[in-house]
Amino acid sequence: MYEVLKYIHENIKSRLNLSETSEKFGYSRWHFCKKFTEYTGQNFLDYVRHTRLSFASMDILKGSKIADVAMDYGYDTIGGFNKAFLKEYGCMPREYKKRTKESALYYERRKNSMYKLSSRCEILKEEVVHLKKNEINYAIERGVYFSLGTAEAMKAGLSDHEIAAAGTAGVLKNFNPYIAPYEVITGFNFGRNEAPPEYKRDKKYFENSKISKEDLETYINLEPKYKAHSLLYGNCLYEVPVELTKQEREGMEEWASYGRFISSNHSVIGHEQVLKLGFEGLLKKIEKYDNGDGFYKAMKNIVNEAMHIGEKYAEEAKRLLEAGAPEYNKEDLEKIIKTCSRVPRYPAETFLEACQAIWFSHVINTWEDTINANSLGRLDRILYPYYKNDIEKGVITKEEAFEIICLLWLKLYRDYDVQQSAVGGTNPDGTSAVNDLSYMMLDATEQLNFVRCLSVRFGSATEKEFLKRSLEVVGHVQKGLPFFFNDDVMIPALMDKGIEREDAYNYTELGCVETLIPGKTNPHAVTGEVGMHKALEYLFGNGNSMKRPEFKPGLETGELSSFDTYEKLYEGVKKQLKNLIDMTCSSCCKFCSSLIAPKPYKSLLTEGCLESGRDFNGFGCKYDYYQIMLAGLPNLADSLMVLKKFVYDEKKYTLEEIKKILESNFEDEAVRLQFVNKAPKFGNDIEEVDNIAIDLLNFSCDVLEEMSEKYARSFHAQPFSFLWMFDHGRESAASPDGRRKGETIAYSVSPMQGRDFNGLTAVLNSISKLPTKRTPGSTSAIIEVDPKLFTDKNIDVITDILIAAGKMGLSNVQFNTIDADTLLDAQKNPEKYNNLAVRVSGFSQRFNLLDKEMQDHIIGRTKHSSL
Amino acid sequence: MEYKANITNISRGSFHDGPGIRTVVYFGGCLLSCKWCHNPETLSFKSDVVYIKSKCIHCGRCVEICPQGHEIRGNDMYFNRVSCKKCGKCAELCPSGALTVTSKPYTPEKLFKEIKKDKFYFNQSCGGVTFSGGECLLQSDFLKEVLKYCREEKINTCIESAFFVPFENILKVINDIDFVFADLKIPDREKHKEYTGQYNDRIIENIRKTSEIHSNIIIRIPLIPGVNDSERDMADFARIINTFGCGVKGVELLKYNYLAESKYENLGKEYTKFSENTQSDGHLNSLVKALKESLIRDIAVFYK
Repeated sequence: MYEVLKYIHENIKSRLNLSETSEKFGYSRWHFCKKFTEYTGQNFLDYVRHTRLSFASMDILKGSKIADVAMDYGYDTIGGFNKAFLKEYGCMPREYKKRTKESALYYERRKNSMYKLSSRCEILKEEVVHLKKNEINYAIERGVYFSLGTAEAMKAGLSDHEIAAAGTAGVLKNFNPYIAPYEVITGFNFGRNEAPPEYKRDKKYFENSKISKEDLETYINLEPKYKAHSLLYGNCLYEVPVELTKQEREGMEEWASYGRFISSNHSVIGHEQVLKLGFEGLLKKIEKYDNGDGFYKAMKNIVNEAMHIGEKYAEEAKRLLEAGAPEYNKEDLEKIIKTCSRVPRYPAETFLEACQAIWFSHVINTWEDTINANSLGRLDRILYPYYKNDIEKGVITKEEAFEIICLLWLKLYRDYDVQQSAVGGTNPDGTSAVNDLSYMMLDATEQLNFVRCLSVRFGSATEKEFLKRSLEVVGHVQKGLPFFFNDDVMIPALMDKGIEREDAYNYTELGCVETLIPGKTNPHAVTGEVGMHKALEYLFGNGNSMKRPEFKPGLETGELSSFDTYEKLYEGVKKQLKNLIDMTCSSCCKFCSSLIAPKPYKSLLTEGCLESGRDFNGFGCKYDYYQIMLAGLPNLADSLMVLKKFVYDEKKYTLEEIKKILESNFEDEAVRLQFVNKAPKFGNDIEEVDNIAIDLLNFSCDVLEEMSEKYARSFHAQPFSFLWMFDHGRESAASPDGRRKGETIAYSVSPMQGRDFNGLTAVLNSISKLPTKRTPGSTSAIIEVDPKLFTDKNIDVITDILIAAGKMGLSNVQFNTIDADTLLDAQKNPEKYNNLAVRVSGFSQRFNLLDKEMQDHIIGRTKHSSL
Repeated sequence: MEYKANITNISRGSFHDGPGIRTVVYFGGCLLSCKWCHNPETLSFKSDVVYIKSKCIHCGRCVEICPQGHEIRGNDMYFNRVSCKKCGKCAELCPSGALTVTSKPYTPEKLFKEIKKDKFYFNQSCGGVTFSGGECLLQSDFLKEVLKYCREEKINTCIESAFFVPFENILKVINDIDFVFADLKIPDREKHKEYTGQYNDRIIENIRKTSEIHSNIIIRIPLIPGVNDSERDMADFARIINTFGCGVKGVELLKYNYLAESKYENLGKEYTKFSENTQSDGHLNSLVKALKESLIRDIAVFYK
């Protein structure tokens, strides 16, 4: 089929007809149609028309005359062409040209200057975006074999470590390899992240899978307790019985001080070791430390099975080759055989082998405890030696290397998003770590255009060109991607927490924005979370919640009348805040107190575990810390500002009156708007309120340091809310910053929605002023920006803005380009979007200030400019 | 002496008025009254009250403080501009932001404090501050103070002006300004009077003199459909520009901006709409060509 599609693409300008094409490839007409539809999901004629018109539209955009284009693509009349065009794009060619000219031409021009997506990747991309075959079968296979493995080990009475290893080893031993057509890097991981499959529910999938009858029988008859344990060993979120105090429990229910059990699957392990040593080498390494303990036996069990994962695929490829399966390309299979018979068993030698080996290693890691946020680290750095070697020796060309990266990307983001990798960065000697691969990885991300997770590390040493290129990707991909991390802030912040210099320079991100040292860390990501804005609520309630008056998660800081000065109030808030942080840390420690789910594969590839004989989850890692998320900082700062202004400076209200207003959930809308509009808000570069936020964050860092001593664990501050700002909001009473009861709180350290109206530089200033060098967990900020700022003329300016903000201390930022839906919502709820500025003509104007007609116009316009 | 100026808006992070990232300061007050002005709030030297009807929640606080200016009629608010003393007390109280004032008084120090906030971005991008308006040159003593501070902090400075001011005003500040945008509106003298309320003699004279003592001037021509956007007008413009000194480095044609209607409405003023659309790219290109052909010297001509 690959050949067919290639043929269509090459001959798109001539008349293609079904019988000739099928004949050419030796199919019968009927068989051809069936195969074609199965593969592309479209029938032959539709596919040809679609392809032809997409080629034609590109030509139109490049400036060819519409009549010429119509002739060129075999349309007899312009009318016919227009009609077909109208059907496909919903508008006439002329209109289309006008609409998409600016953005599309820009993109096309850019596309010519970077590596092109090969037709192989185009086809595989289609498959990933539209078809996604096999996904569920694999999830089922993994679930079944993992459960069978653990059950067997439990029946044999083995140690915890060995049981966990038996699960992964069971999958490695029994899974059925599948090679998709056109792929050169092979192997699948499993998209789903849930409990072992139920036969009754997923009967259809079970029947489609290749699990043998006996295995299936055993699985169906497995006692529930074994299935439950397989969930514990092989998944991440698991209800652990923990004894919390009443206060802690209430704090958790209110999302004020949250502790969780996340066994792991938030990791970046040392995949490089698999590349460098191969599993043979790793086995030798284990033997060096082996003292006959179950911990080492477990590792050896996995390594012994993992050794053959490549061979299994090589054998499958051989089988396909011998069977002469028509949809497979001979050269591709031969390549797979060659690569997979070497890696991951032996050290990788070529770039392709390195990519294949790292992919296998990642797959095994995700088989251990599902994908979730298991990430890969600094891929451009890990793979560079192999790339350089190959290029120097002339084994591959740069175009081929680019294709390999695309293939890896296609594998990586096939099913699941949150698998971070970081590109760029700074070397310990102060030079920039950007290399060819960093650029190629950006190109791949842009061209594939479905990837949703990539970070760029930048610092004062980073080339401006690289940063500019990254921002262009933001502009084109329009998914707020890549994320930006500032080395100049993150590295000192990590070193401040006792991380060695060389290690700190090698930091990377996992999942969303959690920071860690690859192959050396268990960061206990998202285990603890503080709702900072709750401190004020508990102060008003004298320890009691205002949302649920029967709850008392706070401290008794005294009656409201006792706060006769702002300073006293502020001290009271600090006391409450300290209590919340303390509770979070303590429940966090309770949840992660004992080794519940050992992770032998992660332990193997994490520094410190092998040497100490302790597990990844059993404090064996070189760095073991807890990232405590701090949500609601902007809301708390805004609220305190309102109280300071109206209660203490202007004396318009008393605290008791404010409490009544909050309890009534702002009965009088005018009062709420007064609180919103008449007091300064965080995010506008206004010192008065920004200083409150700075001081609160500094205080929280102090408290976390204190807690690190109290509980003898390392706590890192991370002002990040993930998507839980909704939950925080839902569980909170109204707050004095004008937030209604249950309304969503601000995202991380981004200003409260719609309350920053002094422009991009002001927001960045406010955020950069925060003590980011004390928050090694990274402060995540999302800033909404007009996509237009990322095109041609403005890209230099926006690069400068980012560099300048970096110098001022911005630690992490993501740019969100606004889409039409947001604008539509803005039209309905104008007060939510005060900051939304759109470029109108000669000037940028706040969206709210435009009249409705104009707003509609812009909504329409933006939609078209977003590719 | 203590100087004060009414500033209508300080717009940070602008990309369009000069090189790099810029903070644009809009001064209140202008002696011209161009019918197409898209910043009507900057025309008056004094602060005016803006009423944005769609934001009003009818809470009635403005009626309490100022019963002669505001009135509730049934379910609607009525703002009586005639009896408004423009004291701005209602805007101070208004919780919803429906009532605001157009400008606020600033001292040079206070203004410079705002400008200085983005210094990092200026340094990185060779940007700086642009003084616009209204007519910034009318308050040249104030401007001179601010420029002095900018010079000390090495911030790039730029003005956008219509040049309808006494030439002494220009002389006072011109040495401290890195970049000048000079507006040229209509070539014909009588027509200029008709559309802007003043003859253009002084403007042309001022730009001419300035172009001999300053080396970085861009002429800006706002294109108004049916008023000054024909190819013949371009030839007339060129005739004027040809008399200018060598300080003129470029001519920028500004597309017609037809979007200021709501601003006029909120100020209770009447809006003249010249066209429903802005000029097409083809038209603009032909204008650029026409202008370029009639110019003697080789000056860059472009449109925005």
